Amino acid sequence: MATEAIGGDPALAWLVWVLPFAGALVIPAVARLRGSPAGYAAVGVALASALCAASLLPGALGGAEVHHQVSWIAAVGLDAGVLADPLSVIMANVVAWISLLIVIYSTGYMRGERDYVRFWFWMLFFIGSMQLIVLSDNLLQVFFGWEGVGLASYGLISFWYRDKKKDHVGTEGRTVLGMLDYYSPTHAGMKAFVMTKIGDIMMLAGMFLIFAYAGTFGFRELVAETAWAAEMSAAGLLVPAFVLLFGGAVGKSAQFPLNEWLLEAMTGPTAVSALIHAATMVKAGVFLVARIGPIVFALGAAGLLADQFFEIVAWTGAITALLLATQGMVNREIKKVLAYSTGSQIGYMMMALGVAGLSHQYADGYTAGFFHLVSHAMFKASLFMAAGSLLHVVGSRFMDQMGGLRDRMRKTHAFMWAAGLGLMGAPFITTGFWSKDAIFAAVYESGGWWATPLFAIAVLTAVITAFYTMRMIGMVFYGPKSAHAQEADKAGLLHEAPLSMWAPYGILAVLTIGIGIIGLSAEEGLHHLFDEYLVHTFGIHSAHGEPSGLPGFLSALNPAALGASLVAFGAGAGLGYIFYVARWADPARVVGSNPLFRGVHALFLNRWYINAAIYWCFVAAPLWVSRAVYRYFERTAVDHGMNIGLERAAGWGARVVQGTQTGVSQSYLFVFGAGILFVVMVLVI
Amino acid sequence: MTEPFSTPLLLIGILGTAGAALPLLGIARRDRGSHLYAAIALGALAASLALVGYQVISGVAGPPAALPDGVLADDAFGAVLAAAMIIVALISTAGSIEYMRKRSAPAVYYSLILLATVGMVLVVYSADLVMLFVAWELMSIPTYVLVGFNKRNPGSNEAALKYFLFGALASAVIVYAISLAYGLTGSTNIGEVVAGFAALDISMVPLALLSVGLFIAGFGFKMGLVPFHQWLPDAYEGAPAPVAALLAAATKKAGFAAAIRVVVMGMISLSVDWTLALGVLAVMTMTVGNVAAIMQRSVSRMLAYSSIGHAGYILVGLAVAPHSQLGMQGAIYHIFNHAVMKGAAFVAVAGMVVALAATHMDKLAGLGRKMPVTSLGFVLSLFALAGIPPLSGFWSKLVLFEGAIDAGSSLWWAPWLAIAGVLNSALSLAYYGWITRRMYFEGEREKRIAEPRSIAAVMIAASVFLVAFGIYPEPLLGLASSAAPLIP
Repeated sequence: MATEAIGGDPALAWLVWVLPFAGALVIPAVARLRGSPAGYAAVGVALASALCAASLLPGALGGAEVHHQVSWIAAVGLDAGVLADPLSVIMANVVAWISLLIVIYSTGYMRGERDYVRFWFWMLFFIGSMQLIVLSDNLLQVFFGWEGVGLASYGLISFWYRDKKKDHVGTEGRTVLGMLDYYSPTHAGMKAFVMTKIGDIMMLAGMFLIFAYAGTFGFRELVAETAWAAEMSAAGLLVPAFVLLFGGAVGKSAQFPLNEWLLEAMTGPTAVSALIHAATMVKAGVFLVARIGPIVFALGAAGLLADQFFEIVAWTGAITALLLATQGMVNREIKKVLAYSTGSQIGYMMMALGVAGLSHQYADGYTAGFFHLVSHAMFKASLFMAAGSLLHVVGSRFMDQMGGLRDRMRKTHAFMWAAGLGLMGAPFITTGFWSKDAIFAAVYESGGWWATPLFAIAVLTAVITAFYTMRMIGMVFYGPKSAHAQEADKAGLLHEAPLSMWAPYGILAVLTIGIGIIGLSAEEGLHHLFDEYLVHTFGIHSAHGEPSGLPGFLSALNPAALGASLVAFGAGAGLGYIFYVARWADPARVVGSNPLFRGVHALFLNRWYINAAIYWCFVAAPLWVSRAVYRYFERTAVDHGMNIGLERAAGWGARVVQGTQTGVSQSYLFVFGAGILFVVMVLVI
Repeated sequence: MTEPFSTPLLLIGILGTAGAALPLLGIARRDRGSHLYAAIALGALAASLALVGYQVISGVAGPPAALPDGVLADDAFGAVLAAAMIIVALISTAGSIEYMRKRSAPAVYYSLILLATVGMVLVVYSADLVMLFVAWELMSIPTYVLVGFNKRNPGSNEAALKYFLFGALASAVIVYAISLAYGLTGSTNIGEVVAGFAALDISMVPLALLSVGLFIAGFGFKMGLVPFHQWLPDAYEGAPAPVAALLAAATKKAGFAAAIRVVVMGMISLSVDWTLALGVLAVMTMTVGNVAAIMQRSVSRMLAYSSIGHAGYILVGLAVAPHSQLGMQGAIYHIFNHAVMKGAAFVAVAGMVVALAATHMDKLAGLGRKMPVTSLGFVLSLFALAGIPPLSGFWSKLVLFEGAIDAGSSLWWAPWLAIAGVLNSALSLAYYGWITRRMYFEGEREKRIAEPRSIAAVMIAASVFLVAFGIYPEPLLGLASSAAPLIP
């Protein structure tokens, strides 16, 4: 046992992820008690885990690190451990506290649901797995958590496995290129599981490739001694190995080209969408890149450049950001808009972590990406939970069946504005603004040929983001009530959600603004912390940027990035306001006005045809092949040849053995005697 | 020489006293209620386990000597295996509580289990051939009686008779082997015998080989090695199910312990290429066991064949022992695991006998709903036997097969043992999977019935053991490697 406990008790770090797992195991038992206390038990467990995570904060913010290992499987030299450094502790707290709020929200959202216990089991199992990813000190253990969150995600996406019509996503009967664009929960669960599994396999390959050379999975061990990297580099395997690892992140974080599962993942209960498919699990990929990025960058300092890795990360992020944002502009389903937005925002984070490695100021991009992760987690969880309230109340997932809800749901309206402003990046008062601005600055300052196109993509995406967010708020809360909403109103259904539901998203919405107001200093604090952390742990020194010429507190900001942020927000939000809030013009008429707009609209609405293409290549085509194999090979060679042959062989073998088992003692004794002879003869020969 | 307060002597004291006292108590109480006897037996076993466990965990037990002197060797090898034996005795005693409730002479029954346990414990601690033989008989004779304990049941009687017949033959073979060894070396101490073998005149070597071969045959009878296995399915099937647990999981393993002490060491000193002989026996044993198990319709008979298969896996470890240190570790590790897995599986069968009065495959349909706890424990033990990760059985098989592959550097065909083992494990899934399917996917809406409590408790404890040491195998691996004697 190696203990290095500065600034915290390692037991608390272990408890952060062990507690939720233990909770998941006892939940079925607790649920049998009277008064169905399962929900409260889950809240208790989540709270305890969050408190453990919080107890690690003071040490981590002071730059200390808790690293504690126990021998796991000594025969193969594996240790299990927790690593609570600033990166993981902040992430653990984001996960823990947002999970807690969402668990509280779920007690309201899932009330009266069948299979309550299954829900809580998976939620706690998920939290445990996620914290296992965050606090692990080695890749193998991360992978266990990685599969755990994948499993929980599968279980929760297909939670409503009875596949009722209301639980589907997409428009019934709609097809794209002949492929149905309408998914049941069970199908969606499988889709998510299979698609992310592609990434997982890549990750596994990358992991073991590194292990084959380094002989360790440990993050700290990989940095301490870098001879393995030199060997891999000489064999031309260094970049491929890390890119394979990144493949895992691509799958889990729904980045292009493995992005399509996230949209269908919206078949899960909204609390799940908020927790898993917005605030935490999809961030696992970003977190993984943040974990391994410094290792790769530090190798660069040792002369083993792996720039291609960072280029791939940055471009994957940029493409995803734009691709998904464009689709978010046209979708009718509120949860899918938010899902597109999630993938797109994660693209931003990847972009930031990628350009960080390409510039001399690693800490800038690193901080920007991580800061965006934190701020996005807050406002996106809030938006999702608010959307859940809307779904609950209106009874429809389509935004054009809402409309004019602002006077009926005042609190939700206000909170959605606050969180929405965060997503739009409303200047100076939201966390989203500061984090996005930091990304812009990092991209802009990174230098190199990629800086300009990436910057352009980032800004364009920001315009689109502001637009679709405004569109969402406008369609839901403004304008006249739709026919569906009027009906619901007449039935007296339109009212505010209960306290246990609005309080969690209210808290996060308020935090979005509250932290936003002090956002600049929060970011600087984080920057300072990470700067120290990177120097201390990885020996990465970042050059310090010159103060810009801007006055006052803006002097730390890059003028070009700041300008771009402001323009993007103004343009996107302005257009959205005109079409959807003020409703001065009818968007349908504008789109229908010329063939170019119609074509682009169709392209976006049909998901750039990527989803349909994937289904043709990986679902339809393999099915043809499999039918052909079934008809021409299995029915003939296997069924009539091998199966019967094997069966007969096994049956024959068993009969032979049974034949010797006569039950007659004399024959047994004979065999026994022959056996003695046999053994002695083998020995003598 | 053995100290007055060495572990084996203390164990004789605890278990022997309780074992001797129980029948007297039974006479005094005129067999009113069987729970008291079970409680006394459990208490004695728990105390012994605590003693041995303390020895193992605290490291008081000395490191295993390859060639110990004296009569009893108070070392880690003995302690770890004794712990395994006592655990099985505990499982089987606990599993007997409901089984014995309605049957006659419970005091004698528990007493016999305790006495057999004393024998097993002494076998694993023995460092002298005469001591070993005495312990061997002490272990065997109570089990002959136990197998035939249902005296009005012809099946039980036949099983006991067969078992006794072969046991007597095996004992005779062992005595003959001992006499040869004594004649050749002038000593019965295992260490001296082995040393004497090494210094033998070349013309005498064939006699020494004969002696070793007879040892293999004699111990192989208990281990259930093919071709010395034929009595085994008949005996296990006829025996009361908790007794079958004791036989399959414990006395069988005592055979292995004896083989490790005598055969492996003896053959190393003779420097003959005996790995081939054991390797051939291992492959034959596992293949015959698994192939025969597939077609069985009686669960206890199937488990009997499965335990023959497992004897084959363990023998792989012994076969490669001179070429890889992992072989011995894997063998000890698997002996330990198998004790729990097979013990729990047979106790589950005991549960079925108590609740359903049947062990036929067809009666298993819907058992998952009828007896959820027993079924879960049963399935977990079966999966562990098949070596499915992350259950404990996976790791010991891994170490065994890793040992075989490891030995490949000096023995070209050793990796084939691992391949045979893996193929056999796959084959074994056929019948384990079949049982599982029966239990969980067949049968109409069955109602839950009352499960025997003590059996359910054993199931829960075994499940926890299998899962916990599956996820965190380190402690058991550590034990196994500390108990493995270093091959000189």
